[in-house]
Amino acid sequence: MQNKIMSTGILFDIKEFAVHDGPGIRTTFFLKGCPLRCTWCHNPEGQKQEIETLHTPMGDRAAGKIYTSEELAVYINSQADRLNSVGGGITFSGGEPLMQADFVLDILGQLSPIHIVLDTCGYADEETFVEVIKRISLVYYDLKCMDPETHRKYTGKDNSLILGNYAAMARMGIPHVVRIPLIPGITDTDANLEAAAAFIASQPNRPLRIDLLPLNPLAGAKYDMLFREYTPGFDPDQKPNINKRFFENHGLEVEIQ
Amino acid sequence: MNTLNSDRREKTRSRWYRQFRSETSPDLIPLYGNQELSWMEIETEHFITMCEAEMPCVFPDEKIIYTRTTPEPETLYESEAYKRFFAGRTRHELGPINNITPDWLQILKQGLSGQRTAAVKAHDQFSENPGKKAFLSGVIKTIDAALDLASRYSGEAFHIGNMQAGEMLKRVPANPADSFHEALQFIRFTHSLILLAGHYQIGFGRMDQYLLPYYLSDLASGALKPEDAYELIVEFLISLNRDSDLYPGVQPGDNGQTLMLGGLLPDGSDGENELTHLFLKAAEEVRLIDPKINVRIHADTSQELLEAAVRLNRQGFGFPQYSNDDVVIPALTAHGYSREDAYDYSVAACWEFIIPGKGMEVVNIGAVSFPYAADSAVRHVLEHGGTFADILERAERSIEEQVDALVKTYSKLALPPAPFLSIFMEGCIGNGTDLSEGLTYNNYGIHGAGSSNAADALSAVKHFIYDTQEFEASELLDALETDFRENEPLRLKLMNHAGKVGLNDETADGLLFHLFSAFSHNCEKVKNNGRGGLIRPGTGSAMYYIWLAQGEDQMREPVVKTTAEGRHAGQPLGANLSPSPGVRPYGPFSVFNSFAKLDYSALCNGGPITLELSSSVFRGTDAIKKAADLIRLFVQTGNQQLQMNCVSPETLLEAREFPEKYPDLVVRVWGWSGYFCELSPEYQEQIIQRHIFAL
Repeated sequence: MQNKIMSTGILFDIKEFAVHDGPGIRTTFFLKGCPLRCTWCHNPEGQKQEIETLHTPMGDRAAGKIYTSEELAVYINSQADRLNSVGGGITFSGGEPLMQADFVLDILGQLSPIHIVLDTCGYADEETFVEVIKRISLVYYDLKCMDPETHRKYTGKDNSLILGNYAAMARMGIPHVVRIPLIPGITDTDANLEAAAAFIASQPNRPLRIDLLPLNPLAGAKYDMLFREYTPGFDPDQKPNINKRFFENHGLEVEIQ
Repeated sequence: MNTLNSDRREKTRSRWYRQFRSETSPDLIPLYGNQELSWMEIETEHFITMCEAEMPCVFPDEKIIYTRTTPEPETLYESEAYKRFFAGRTRHELGPINNITPDWLQILKQGLSGQRTAAVKAHDQFSENPGKKAFLSGVIKTIDAALDLASRYSGEAFHIGNMQAGEMLKRVPANPADSFHEALQFIRFTHSLILLAGHYQIGFGRMDQYLLPYYLSDLASGALKPEDAYELIVEFLISLNRDSDLYPGVQPGDNGQTLMLGGLLPDGSDGENELTHLFLKAAEEVRLIDPKINVRIHADTSQELLEAAVRLNRQGFGFPQYSNDDVVIPALTAHGYSREDAYDYSVAACWEFIIPGKGMEVVNIGAVSFPYAADSAVRHVLEHGGTFADILERAERSIEEQVDALVKTYSKLALPPAPFLSIFMEGCIGNGTDLSEGLTYNNYGIHGAGSSNAADALSAVKHFIYDTQEFEASELLDALETDFRENEPLRLKLMNHAGKVGLNDETADGLLFHLFSAFSHNCEKVKNNGRGGLIRPGTGSAMYYIWLAQGEDQMREPVVKTTAEGRHAGQPLGANLSPSPGVRPYGPFSVFNSFAKLDYSALCNGGPITLELSSSVFRGTDAIKKAADLIRLFVQTGNQQLQMNCVSPETLLEAREFPEKYPDLVVRVWGWSGYFCELSPEYQEQIIQRHIFAL
């Protein structure tokens, strides 16, 4: 963990009135850069940390803009009272916000009280992870493949850090929601869902709920705009195995999103 | 809704009722050409002729009766016989008085017979005054024609076996309404007759307020149950879609059948009541484009009302539109409206504030083109040299000239006599004065159109030419002259790298404020518009966001070509208060913050913030509460009016064909939101299909 304050960060979007990124109405910050390369990623412009060009049918536009922590804090604070008054807040998403943990911490240090969601894949060193989530109201935590090799095959990294951080979060009693994308034949298998459910249920604190996220066939829409090829490694048109039973058997709250 | 109403709805949608409409309307041109008759007599005869031509049309199970059987006499308004009355004077739109709201409560209490008695009495009282007598005899004759048609309707109802309707039409509209059902029947019938007289865009005002006594009294007596009232409201709302294709407007559907719900009462209490909710629920279930529902809200509006209102928004029809009482009422009282009247405001066809029964206001005499003001100033100063302050000064002068030109034109306004509509307005009969001579409020309204484009253009010029001096004035001038054909990089810079309205940018928002201040200042200078009224400046654009960019026959306003915010000639401007097309705001919070900087106490003609929302915001947990929260934020930021377009398949189809018009259209694709026009065709198609299936 560095002590030096990083005063700038890179975002690929800011979206106000986000209604699917946590409780109430929120402003979501999409931080650019991600340690994983999930083959099904629907925001490929969030993967690399440098500014890229999106070639849209409406013309080119930059994906990525540099902000100072101060300007984002001023912007957030200007909305804080109103978002609080209606039970909303802000969400750090990505990409992977923990790739720019110092920047996020720097912003957090300048905020007046507000409800904060961190939407994370959990891939970060534990010290950094703990340092950030201590200041977070609610964590949206992605779990994908429980088998390390499958995880490595489809995301580029194995899952030991992710599972370790999950356990740390559960020990600390930080409120969290688990999010599992249902990728046909990869994450939606009975074996993987059962393994995830058993892992979650074995922790000292339970999530508020588990969201199962069926993959949309449009996930690959943005690859063309980056002149990249969408090679998910599975059939995106295949219907996912949507099965709440594994989680319910462990007494876990589960929802299909 | 019950099966009878759902059958009526289907018949209305399938235009089943059109089979009862005749091909042609009476030829009124000879009447208007008759040199022997006064204009008052001609308008009176116009109404009588149209009433006589109507064939009563009643169906067995109907509870709300009226189906129009004659089309509009469209050719009349272009005839020399009609035009002769306007020679040397200004005609507003087609000519007939339009876009105002009757005092429905008063007419429900009086009945047409009561008004006839009053007119006879006044006729005797003003026996020495030929003008007043002529008006009052016009009133009496039109009432007789209306009652004759009602009587024929009653006879037809008995004839086909609808005894309840036969009895009711014997009582109303001749007598005061005595029940909730009678009140709705009264309004449906007389509103239709007002339109038969050639008037258009006539509103219904605050129905949940003035109908409440009838509703409560029927409940107390046991004559009505809430579920019966609900079905009556449903039938009433459906009935307003039966003939609405006949009524003129800039576009089909622009017929001004507005209805206001909720809002503060003069004692400061909230007018939200059971009827407010019954109307919202009925409109949500009816799902037709008429009437246009408006809701008045304020800081303490209940969560229940906001949630009921956004459930209606979820239907994707772009209403209800919201007006913020906390901002609107003080603006009205600051412009000569009495406290009691200000608390009773409704809206005209779009958003312009109007006092039912007391406003003979012309709320849309035209538009000031903010983009023209900014653009002509930019071009002149860049060409001849000068500071940015010089540009602002010239833009202000253009706004002044545009206001002055409209005011001068409308100082010669001619309004046709309106004996029948006068019956519905306060004081006309008692004073023996026709509505066209004016009421308590006789103000004019002017739209301030294309405001965000203008502020963005000034912001870009300030940034690139004056502050950073990144470009020479001559380079920008050349680019404007050639529509950026040779200089796309400059256009992209102007579009993407200067402060814009809608991003809560201090510079751009400051310029917007500056332009509107000049606008309201120049309106305030006018102490008498020629009819004893003021000029109300507004923030709406109406259709001018297209017209000012592309031109329109007989338009009085100047057209603007290529503009310095990076807009090509011919491209539409932003509608009402919205970011310029092509600007990507972070979202509604920043848009609210930008527009909250305006001084709405001066901008008293109305004009909504216009948001495009994906219908996907209405999916998922707590969606209704979240949408209601957004409305609450709109109020808390101190903005004036709000309308939201929740995307419909039709919009998406149009966006696919004309992407340049919808660059900001957002769709939820899955766990992410994307700009619709940036998606490839196959993805667009999929989303269109999904939206169609989501209905």
